[in-house]
Amino acid sequence: MTAAAIIPFGERGWLATLAETSEPTEAGIRAARIADQLRSVPGFSDSVGGIGSVAVRFDPAKLSADEARDQLETAINAEKQAPRRARQKIDIPVCYGGEHGPDLEATASLLGLDRERFIAMHAEQPYRVAMLGFAPGFTYLGTLDERLQAARRATPRPRVAPGSVAIAGEFTGIYPLPSPGGWRLIGQTPISLFNPHRDNPFSLFAGDEVCFKPISEDTFAQMAAS
Amino acid sequence: MSQDVAEVVTPGVQSTIQDAGRAGFRHHGVPHGGACDIFSFALTNRAAGNPWNTPALECTATGPILRFTCSTTITLGGADMKAQLGNVSITPYRAYDVQKGDTLSLGPAQTGLRTYIAFAGGLEGDRFLGSSSTFLPAEIGGLHGRALRTGDRLACGDSPCGPPCEIPETLRPRLAHDWVLRATAGPDFEIFSDPARAAFFADAFTASPRESRMGIELTGPLVTPPEGFSLRSGPVFPGTVQCPPAGTPFVLLADAQTTGGYPRMAQIIDADLWITGQIRPGDRIWFHAIDPALARTIAAQRNAYCESVMPGFSFNA
Repeated sequence: MTAAAIIPFGERGWLATLAETSEPTEAGIRAARIADQLRSVPGFSDSVGGIGSVAVRFDPAKLSADEARDQLETAINAEKQAPRRARQKIDIPVCYGGEHGPDLEATASLLGLDRERFIAMHAEQPYRVAMLGFAPGFTYLGTLDERLQAARRATPRPRVAPGSVAIAGEFTGIYPLPSPGGWRLIGQTPISLFNPHRDNPFSLFAGDEVCFKPISEDTFAQMAAS
Repeated sequence: MSQDVAEVVTPGVQSTIQDAGRAGFRHHGVPHGGACDIFSFALTNRAAGNPWNTPALECTATGPILRFTCSTTITLGGADMKAQLGNVSITPYRAYDVQKGDTLSLGPAQTGLRTYIAFAGGLEGDRFLGSSSTFLPAEIGGLHGRALRTGDRLACGDSPCGPPCEIPETLRPRLAHDWVLRATAGPDFEIFSDPARAAFFADAFTASPRESRMGIELTGPLVTPPEGFSLRSGPVFPGTVQCPPAGTPFVLLADAQTTGGYPRMAQIIDADLWITGQIRPGDRIWFHAIDPALARTIAAQRNAYCESVMPGFSFNA
């Protein structure tokens, strides 16, 4: 992998834009892989992947800006040889539409699909976690079938229910916690993907594979209660 | 065994337990968090004899009324909320011994936005990823992940505490209504037109009422990215100034989301980031461009200057 550009991000940061990354999910996964390698570099305080970009921040008392830049460039160039985290495969049960996915009907209609076809298309392919961001545990899952791609809502909702499954542009995502949100809500999962009280609060990492499994309202209610 | 130290008589507008935040988890979407005015927070702690990063109470706009349920030592710093201990006016950055039954009353700040109350030994709170900082959007940390309510009880922590520390007048931050924020060019600076960049670094902005621990919206000259320009989602940090298509710049604060898709025009320098915790709606802001090397020099000088009063503190933390 090569860096298309490495530019300063503040006085103690660098942002690298990655070349060879036109496919957005691949762009996120490879950025996360590079960021993972850099996180343990002494003197680095942050190492974060974006969609085709990597940002690092360093302690200027421990590293010079040039040293930090060199570390970043080296990690990018070595990306192909970097160890890959074992890919988890997780099934996410989703109750589509109705109260659980208030935007599903309108979105399907906008895309010229009937409700069943939309659900089938969303659930039939596996997705990979491209990026974590926006909120603790929020996953950007890609890449959404072109025929399911729609822009986010013009006005965000002030509150999205936890476990909401949503789509916007090239990605589908899961809101782990209540939050404001502008993505189109198509369903809801009863399982918890972020729990600060667990020893391992986070369930999903970049590169992991997610399959959505449609479930009924009743099953949702049972799973949510347990 | 924790000890109740105070009961909340009135909670104030938004009073939360904060410490220095939780670094190193942005790749999981977890913001750094912590005190928005890290400098006043640190000085207030040191004035109480606490290590600079001890959990304290961050009070916003109008502060709480607290009744102490045991004796302790407190200090206040940051914005002046005309605090009274009984009928004694509180001087900032000075330690006060309080007794069970004493009442501390804070009012509205007129200049600056946030006041810090430090308790000797700190405050106990829920911890997550090594920090007691309250992150309201996810209901994490501090007092059950939320702001204070009437009837709440604060418990004192067991952090090591030394004797109160004298805070020299020259070190204390001066609060105002007009602010100059020094900033380096952000990673997307180059995509903006010359007029947009010139406007951003020359004209005065005004802080809008739309502000929170996540960020501050600025009104004033519109600073728009080129028509149709789009950016893939990428990392942002506290102090990043985004310029979305609508043209109103947005300054990110401690609890801001960790990634975003709006162009990043500028990055506020570490030495000035504390200011963003004191900007009130209506305050005027100018951005002053400096290069990263100078920003590093400024931070290093300020860190050195603070070292004797605040061992271990860094504006770069």
